[in-house]
Amino acid sequence: MLHYVVIFIPLLGAALDILDVLFTPVGRLVVLGAAVVGLIAVFRRPGFSLGPQLAKSALISLVGAALTFVLSTQLNLGAVVASALVGLVGAQVLKGRDQLVLYLGAFVGMSSVLRFPTLVPLIVAGLLGGFLFELVDDCWIGVGGRLGTIAATAVVVVLAITGGGL
Amino acid sequence: MVTLLLGIVIALICGAAGFWLRQQTKLTVVEVSALLALVAGLILPRLFTDGGLFALICTTVSYATMCSGKRIANYMDMLVTSLICALIVYFGQSVLVGVGGRLGTSAAISVLLFVLIKERLNPGSRQSDQGVKT
Repeated sequence: MLHYVVIFIPLLGAALDILDVLFTPVGRLVVLGAAVVGLIAVFRRPGFSLGPQLAKSALISLVGAALTFVLSTQLNLGAVVASALVGLVGAQVLKGRDQLVLYLGAFVGMSSVLRFPTLVPLIVAGLLGGFLFELVDDCWIGVGGRLGTIAATAVVVVLAITGGGL
Repeated sequence: MVTLLLGIVIALICGAAGFWLRQQTKLTVVEVSALLALVAGLILPRLFTDGGLFALICTTVSYATMCSGKRIANYMDMLVTSLICALIVYFGQSVLVGVGGRLGTSAAISVLLFVLIKERLNPGSRQSDQGVKT
């Protein structure tokens, strides 16, 4: 159950943000500490293995994030329209879980350019989103918004490393 | 206050539309959600001064429509969840600004709050983690 910490990181981030300490050294330390605890718990789960599906999901998520970010910021479509377009087109191309992972990546790509002034941290967040999708596959099953929460986890953790932007 | 009320009305319409699409069409959850978000994102900012906020509310509701049928079983469930979504997005506008996944997180909080309230009011409807009534 300790691996559930991973999916609660955006809620922790929101609480820290309300207190205005999210991207202070203390806030970043709390977020990264929670991420480390959660990931260790994930890796210690019985039956856990680093299979090819993990890499595939990470790559699909990365594509979704990059496409959405470029559509949103370079073509000025806005985050909502850009992610919806990526989700809709992706749903015609991909099937099953891959659709979900691409949509998750699109959520990562909805981040503001002020948070990600360069593409590299966004790419890392995209990859991390896909990884996390596979790692917390038993959390919050059937809950709408689960993909967005996983995406937010990836974004908040990467921003905690980079400093938060803005 | 007018903005909030209008946001709630739009959220309810979006939630009902999403639930109808889930029930009556063969679209996947991703297609339903993306379709709702696309329509909201294209139309609402052109119709209302606060259209950007309304688009965010609809997008959040669209993510909530991705719930399994066991979590949100009927229109009333969907409407209550949509109402909670609207309130969370409206009052949480200054939280996690610019963080991708913020709307999805709002949707998940709304759904979990709804499930919690539902279980409190009707203990017999307790759901397991798999979304199956036990």
